[in-house]
Amino acid sequence: MSSPLSSLKYFEDMYSIRLTQLEAERKRGVKIIGTLCLFVPDEIIFSAGADRIILCGGKADTIPRAEEFLPRNICPLVKSSFGAIIDACCGGQIACSHVSLVDIIVAEATCDAKKKTYELLPEYRKTYVLDLPQRPNTPEAKDYFLSELKKFGMFMDTVTGHSITTDALRREIQSANETRKLLHRLYDLRKRDPPPIRGSEILRVMQRQFFLSPAQFQEGIRQICDELETRVLDIESKPRILLSGCPNAAGNTKVPDIIEQKGGIIVAEESCTGTRAFWDLVDEEKDPWVGLAERYLEIPCACMTPNEQRITRIKDLVTDYNVDGVVYSTLQFCHPYAIEKFRVQHALKKMKVPMLAIESDYGDADIEQIGIRVEAFLEMLS
Amino acid sequence: MITIGIDAGAATTKGVILLDREIAGYRIVSTAFDFLSTAETLFEELLATSDLRQEDVVKICATGYGRMMVTFANATVSEITAHAKGVNFFFPEVRGIIDVGGQDSKVIVVEEGKVIDFLMNDKCAAGTGKFLEYTAKALEVRIEDLGSLALGSVHPAAITSICTVFAESEVISLRAQGIPRADIAAGLIVNIAQRIVIMARRMGLKEPIAFVGGVAKNSGMRVELEKELDVTLSVPSEPQITGALGAALAAQKPEKRSSA
Ligand SMILES: Nc1ncnc2c1ncn2[C@@H]1O[C@H](COP(=O)(O)OP(=O)(O)OP(=O)(O)O)[C@@H](O)[C@H]1O
Ligand code: SF4
Ligand code: SF4
Ligand SMILES: [Mg+2]
Repeated sequence: MSSPLSSLKYFEDMYSIRLTQLEAERKRGVKIIGTLCLFVPDEIIFSAGADRIILCGGKADTIPRAEEFLPRNICPLVKSSFGAIIDACCGGQIACSHVSLVDIIVAEATCDAKKKTYELLPEYRKTYVLDLPQRPNTPEAKDYFLSELKKFGMFMDTVTGHSITTDALRREIQSANETRKLLHRLYDLRKRDPPPIRGSEILRVMQRQFFLSPAQFQEGIRQICDELETRVLDIESKPRILLSGCPNAAGNTKVPDIIEQKGGIIVAEESCTGTRAFWDLVDEEKDPWVGLAERYLEIPCACMTPNEQRITRIKDLVTDYNVDGVVYSTLQFCHPYAIEKFRVQHALKKMKVPMLAIESDYGDADIEQIGIRVEAFLEMLS
Repeated sequence: MITIGIDAGAATTKGVILLDREIAGYRIVSTAFDFLSTAETLFEELLATSDLRQEDVVKICATGYGRMMVTFANATVSEITAHAKGVNFFFPEVRGIIDVGGQDSKVIVVEEGKVIDFLMNDKCAAGTGKFLEYTAKALEVRIEDLGSLALGSVHPAAITSICTVFAESEVISLRAQGIPRADIAAGLIVNIAQRIVIMARRMGLKEPIAFVGGVAKNSGMRVELEKELDVTLSVPSEPQITGALGAALAAQKPEKRSSA
């Protein structure tokens, strides 16, 4: 085993520092926005002088709270997040303290589970819902999303009392692009054979992208990259895995952990806690609002139709990262990603790249069953 | 070289003793609460039946659900690989395998004994041997007799529940309506066969196809699968031991214990 990375410790240490920072900001009157999806642009929140923190839940313990309100058969990510929100707003002790730091939740009209659950939120916290076009590849979609982003900008103006200036927006776009470029640098390092770091370690870092401030996150990524440049992971040759599918919200690392415990190595994640979170940059030459609208509509989320760009992305990742096999991981009851599985499988078959599909939730009951499938898959690849 | 393969399955534990490439003996026992003691007893019995001593055994390879619990084994292999190897021993020309056990059903695409692709059922017991065991109990039929009973049916009852627990109550309500036992038995088999057929079609299984696992002993299931898939299935004389056999074959080659 290679020596542990000190840059990973940075992320552990930053956790409590960030919470203290948010508390202090809040005391000073800075508004804290809670988000639950990649489609809500950081750039707009920050240029209005607010801060933000992700509320996506990856832990099982708040799910029973949510099930007092929600049907059992919806995705655990939605239940876990909602459970944390109601728990925190009713003085409960189960969830971590994030929700209590949040002034306003900025939600988005994506999958049915989220959309309909968001209707219950205003009872607990002020909520704003950003609308999204569902067929992103049309000029009308872009125009509509542009108007939605501007409307959101105006909402943020009233929330913070600062109006968003073009300069501030450009500065935040540059900063967000800087994060994206750093993450590309990090992911490029993983193309090496063997990669210098495990995917389960990267995932834990990616889960902090929308929790830490951009400056804190960038600093951490820079440190990891610098450390990885010279690091060689002394592992024997292992099957190179692309993990693709639903997001792994903080707290949920079950499937990637199993893959690497069983002897695979994850070289990239095609997910919202992976490439979808940083792949495309905002065009800095364009009008900032237009640039944002175009960039965010490129996110290949399965809530969009058609979602051809996701298939293309997966095929490119398989080639560029020299992938031996794809593990398609979905959360139970997530219809968008579960249905899209068929098209991904079809595309990979044509490339003669094997795919293993796993559906799971936040419980531990299926660890052994998933292990059996993963083990057989890895044996098949080697 | 003498090797032993142990398949610690969810329902039964199987052992095969291999002398080079010849089966010197095998045993099937039901899996008790304690995987390890079940496997230990099985190991003793295997040695006794084949007149061998422990020192003669060069290597032991474990597979199946409880393989990690078989601590006296020096290697492990996944069930998918094990079944592929075991089936290859009986039928080298096979290109598709259907294994239906107690808790899992598996469909495997193979080429000359090598796994190309596979699919396993989702996490519950739907479409597996346990489903048949529970529902046979509700019918008051021995699991061994369920298949031949079903073969006598002309109008299989419609059983719609996928869930084992619901299917059991469905069986009871069908009995209360006076539906003949044979028709209910056939309905249960059709229900399971449909789930397996969907998996086989998804994988695009090509002939020749082998049918293994304990459920391959169910003649009604075999006939139903053959009808639905429109193929003749190759079933070894003892279909339940292909996993253990595959493990014993894997042990004949130098391989290390998997890292997990
Ligand atoms: N003589 C028999 N006739 C008909 N069916 C049988 C017979 N013996 C066993 N079965 C069926 O086979 C099933 C067990 O199969 P098997 O021993 O292959 O399972 P396993 O390997 O322990 O399970 P898994 O592979 O899911 O871990 C039983 O649930 C039963 O339905
Ligand atoms: S999967 Fe889609 S809806 Fe969910 S967080 Fe990602 S972009 Fe948003
Ligand atoms: S994982 Fe699927 S169901 Fe869950 S929130 Fe994301 S898109 Fe919706
Ligand atoms: Mg079995």
